[in-house]
Amino acid sequence: MVTLPFRIKVKNAETGAAVEMELEDENTVDEIIESAATFWNKDMGAYVLRKGKKVLRGGASLKDASIRTDDVLELIPDPEGG
Amino acid sequence: MDEERLDRSRRIGWLNLDAIARARILMVGAGALGNEVGKCLALSGFRHVTVVDMDHVVGSNLNRCLFFSKEDASGRRLKAEVVAQGMNALSPDMEAVPVPTRIEEMSDPGFHDHDVVLGCLDNIAARLHVNARAYQAGRVYIDGGMEGLTGKVMVVRPPKGACIQCGMNRSHARVAGLRFSCTGKDVVFHEPRLAAEITTTSIVSALMVREAVKHVSGRGEMLLANTLYYDGQRNVAEEAEVQVNPDCPVHGGI
Repeated sequence: MVTLPFRIKVKNAETGAAVEMELEDENTVDEIIESAATFWNKDMGAYVLRKGKKVLRGGASLKDASIRTDDVLELIPDPEGG
Repeated sequence: MDEERLDRSRRIGWLNLDAIARARILMVGAGALGNEVGKCLALSGFRHVTVVDMDHVVGSNLNRCLFFSKEDASGRRLKAEVVAQGMNALSPDMEAVPVPTRIEEMSDPGFHDHDVVLGCLDNIAARLHVNARAYQAGRVYIDGGMEGLTGKVMVVRPPKGACIQCGMNRSHARVAGLRFSCTGKDVVFHEPRLAAEITTTSIVSALMVREAVKHVSGRGEMLLANTLYYDGQRNVAEEAEVQVNPDCPVHGGI
C-alpha cells in the first residue's frame, strides 16, 4: 500500500523556532531528531523528541508512534553532564 | 528545640527521619552534581553514603563544587575522598565512605548493599552501567544530568516503568562514552558545549535528593513519575513520560 506524505511541525524548545517537515509513515523518530538538529545546527549531543508529555522512542516509525498530520513535536536537549 | 539539628526537618510531617538515618545511599560521581547532592544528603539527615568516583580535582571544577579547594586541585586529590570528607564535616552523624574507583570496577554486592542509587555522572556509558546494575538489584535509581541552564532528573523504579536505556535514541548512541565535563587530561573534550554552572547544578541535585527523601520516607506516591526536564532559560520545569522500550536489554528485550 502506498502511503502519502504528511506534514508535521517540529519546535525547537531552546529557541521557540519551528520547522515544518514532510514525512511518511515509515520515517522514524531518530530521523526527525537528526534532521531537526542538523537544520538548527545543534551541537553534537543527545536530544529527545516529545509529543505532549510523551518522549518518543527513537527507533519507532511515525506510524508506530501515532504521529499524524499537523502534529506538533518538540525537540529538547537531553543533558548528560554531571 | 532550637538546639536540635533536625528540628525544622521534623516539622515536615511525612519526613521519616529515622528511615533517612538508616538508609544506605550509593552516590556515583563526585563532580559538580556529586558535591551538591552530597551537601543535600548530609543536611537532610542521611548518615550512610558510599561515594564512588575515580577522578581527581582540577582547577576548572572550582566554580561549582562546594567541597573542592584550590589546594585539592593543586594536590590532585581524589574527588571521592574530598567529597566524603566534606560531607562528614557538614554533619556529625554522617559516615560517608569514599570508594575511589570506576563504578564499572566496583564489586557486585555494591548495589545490593544500598537502598537507593544516585547517579551524578557525566557520561552515557557509565549511566547505562549504573542503570542496568541498579535495575538488576531492584534498587531505585535517581539520575541527574545538566548542561548549561538545562537539567534533567529521572527516577527509575524497578520492576515498574521505563529505565534510562528505554529513553535513549540514536543521538545518545553517537555521544555515548564521551564525558561532558572539563575535569582533566583524560577527558574526551566534546566541543562546542556549554559550561556547567552552579545554579543549574543546585536545582538538579536538590531535586534528586528530594526524590530520595520521598522514597526512603515511604512516600512512593509522591515520587516523580518518570522524568523532569528543567529549562532555566525559560524558567520551565515539566514532567515527561519515557515509555518502556520493548527492545531494551535491561527490560529483557533484544
